[in-house]
Amino acid sequence: MSLLKRFAYFVGLPVVLLILWWALTIGNTNFFVPKPLHLFEIFGDVWFGERMMRDVLPSIGRILIGIVVSIIAGVVLGILIGSVRVLRMLMEPALEFLRAIPPPVIIPVFALVMGINDQMRIAVIVFGCIWPVLLNTIEGVRAVDSVLNDTCAVYGIKGGARLRHLVLRAASPQIMTGVRQSISIGLILMVISEMLGSASSGLGHTIVQFQRTFAVPEMWTGIILLGLLGVALSLIFQFTEKRVLRWYHGLREVDR
Amino acid sequence: MRRVPWTQHSLAAPVLGVVGIILFLAVWEVASRTGLVNPRFFPPASDVLVRLGTDLVSASFWTSVGQTMTSWIIGLTISAVAATAIGFLIGGSNFLRKATHTTIEFLRPIPSVALIPLAVLLFGVSIESALLLIVYASFWQILIQVLYGTADVDSVAMDTARSYGLGWWARVRHVVWPTTLPYLITGLRLAAAVALVLAITAELVIGTPGIGKQIELNRSGGSVVAMYSLVLATGIIGVIINMVMRFIEKRVLRWHASVRKDVAV
Amino acid sequence: MKRQILTAAAMVGVLALAGCSGAGGGDTPGEDGELTPVSAAVIPIADTAAIWLGVDQGFFEEEGLDVTIDTAGGGAAIVPGVVSGDYDFGFSNYVSLMFANEQFGTDTPMSLSVVANGVTASEDLEKDFGGVVVRADSDIQTAADLAGRSVSVNTLANIGDSTVSQIVADDGGDASTIEFIEVGFPDAPAALENGQVDAAWIVEPFLTQAVDAGARVLFYNFNGFDPELDVAGYFTSAQTIEQKPEVVDAFRAAMKRSLEYAGDNPDEVRRILGTYTEISPELIEQIALPRFRADVDLDAAQRLADAAVEFSGLSTAPELDTFFALDD
Repeated sequence: MSLLKRFAYFVGLPVVLLILWWALTIGNTNFFVPKPLHLFEIFGDVWFGERMMRDVLPSIGRILIGIVVSIIAGVVLGILIGSVRVLRMLMEPALEFLRAIPPPVIIPVFALVMGINDQMRIAVIVFGCIWPVLLNTIEGVRAVDSVLNDTCAVYGIKGGARLRHLVLRAASPQIMTGVRQSISIGLILMVISEMLGSASSGLGHTIVQFQRTFAVPEMWTGIILLGLLGVALSLIFQFTEKRVLRWYHGLREVDR
Repeated sequence: MRRVPWTQHSLAAPVLGVVGIILFLAVWEVASRTGLVNPRFFPPASDVLVRLGTDLVSASFWTSVGQTMTSWIIGLTISAVAATAIGFLIGGSNFLRKATHTTIEFLRPIPSVALIPLAVLLFGVSIESALLLIVYASFWQILIQVLYGTADVDSVAMDTARSYGLGWWARVRHVVWPTTLPYLITGLRLAAAVALVLAITAELVIGTPGIGKQIELNRSGGSVVAMYSLVLATGIIGVIINMVMRFIEKRVLRWHASVRKDVAV
Repeated sequence: MKRQILTAAAMVGVLALAGCSGAGGGDTPGEDGELTPVSAAVIPIADTAAIWLGVDQGFFEEEGLDVTIDTAGGGAAIVPGVVSGDYDFGFSNYVSLMFANEQFGTDTPMSLSVVANGVTASEDLEKDFGGVVVRADSDIQTAADLAGRSVSVNTLANIGDSTVSQIVADDGGDASTIEFIEVGFPDAPAALENGQVDAAWIVEPFLTQAVDAGARVLFYNFNGFDPELDVAGYFTSAQTIEQKPEVVDAFRAAMKRSLEYAGDNPDEVRRILGTYTEISPELIEQIALPRFRADVDLDAAQRLADAAVEFSGLSTAPELDTFFALDD
């Protein structure tokens, strides 16, 4: 496919939709209906001033820390539980229950136990994000190829080397699947923890403030900013996944 | 020569599982009773379980559960129907698939909770607020799976069907649908869990009727034990939904030749 | 072609959702024994006991109104709901309403005015339904000691910091040095015990719970501010007053009776509390009840408005004659 054609596919529909949005709202005076040009004009004023330091960056910081903690804790615990059969049987039903709790209801609980602060908000994100990583790691570790496992044993590869070259490697495609789900859950929890936890800063808090004060266009720019953040995180993820799983995608190509 | 370990016994898993849950409750109980965590804010497990017991026989509890499940099922149905229809439409055409790719990849990661302020302004505390959030969140889960599914359709089978003169509808019914079904079911299972999260979020944050609103009411009434009991209840609902959806998935996929490897959530 | 279908389908979906809520607006007051449906949005706390009692006692029906009470969790949906006309009446504290009018202007269809008083500081100066608590062993002994310390309030720039600051200033402390921190009432006792704040402004039932757990009341911020302070009330928009004057009048009359009934029958207030809140029955017996009365003390209201200007960033105190539209 020619580069031009690809580009046309890439921007075609978004451009059409934007034009439609613009055209349909030209004569509209409804308070709730946002106009694309107006949003574009105010976007910078709303977010690139003081709010960038006070709301946007702290929110991004919380979600990044939350996701990184979830990945580390999820992988470490997952390898432990996945490798020790007794532990797995012991914990499976309890974990099954904990992960079924809709994470937002844990916010009132954590707010009472930990207080209203950043640690609480990060803990909420971790509570929601850890399950996909943990459960996928357990599955990944369990499914380690038995031939490879025996080969390692024969060659006396064990301990850290076995963990790094065999277990983590073999489980990584599954772990990455988990991370992908974690990111979208983390974003949801970042927003809600700022809405519910009587925060005084953060994206979620600011957007609700806009709604309460009827600053509707500003509210829309917040929604768009959250969308951009979601897209950015998903791009970062795809980039990382490609690097981490290069060998795996290579293998699959050969398979086909 | 490996000796058969006791953990291979058929009873080992359920017994150990129960032990695990008891251990979990015991740690909770001790942490609270000893004051490790302030029991006023983290009441002992026994108190919470007793309260959960009384909840389970109270009519108002079941009313809220009913309200939550109503928004859940309506939201899930709307997104399932819409996502399946749109998924087949897009998936059936190479042109549409390519043309919609960027738009879908941009809209999909927008967290549906970003729409909370909009829902409040448009619908207030009525059920539509919850539906807006539920549908937005679960729609993409199903759509993506349906798109994977339609991409998986065997082109030889499709060509065969075409050469036998099967029309568009017949091709969808006999070739595309069977291939896509397992993907659709997986999408539904993922969406079911997400829909519950968003239903309860709407109740908690916006105040649409349901169990999440009851949690908030108990919170603002200073009834900490009751609040914890409802949190446990939401977990139980979540477990039931997961189990039912997995059961359905197994049933539907049983006859299916290629039972695909399950992706853990 | 198909692309259009997709967009169209998406829009139909949005419109279908929108259509469900849009229809609930217009109705005409019934004359001949038929009840006019009216909606009110309130917070499910003790402060709103009067309207629940009024419905329970049939006062609204006698005025020809069929009231549906919606409880909005944090109250975030109340003002938008009343402004957009989804609700005819809402419940809010007076400082919040003054801030809302600053947004909407005072002579627009969206401007809000109070049609019935809601809740008033307790007559008993030794016990009120809102107050500032400190840890039992705290070195904070007087209101003035709060200067330079952290105090939790449920919402910043609102009635909590206005009244607390005024009391501290009257006691000779520098109110501008108080660090107000936003913590919801349910979480404030925990924040106080964990040492996240030096003092917490809380209302019932958390006040009783905190005192039971050993916290010390530093002062009551409502009757400590002014013994006649009216705290919150029922409001509507200028548009509703214009379009449904009979309904507004009927609501005023029924609320007046409800407030008097609630004021005369504290036992009834405690009974009705058990029906719409999740406060435990034992706690309901213990909590301090607010005062319910139909009249507003304009002097106290003026002081409240002035305090909101001085300490909470309200730009100007409203014209109280139009802000309170208790009589037609």
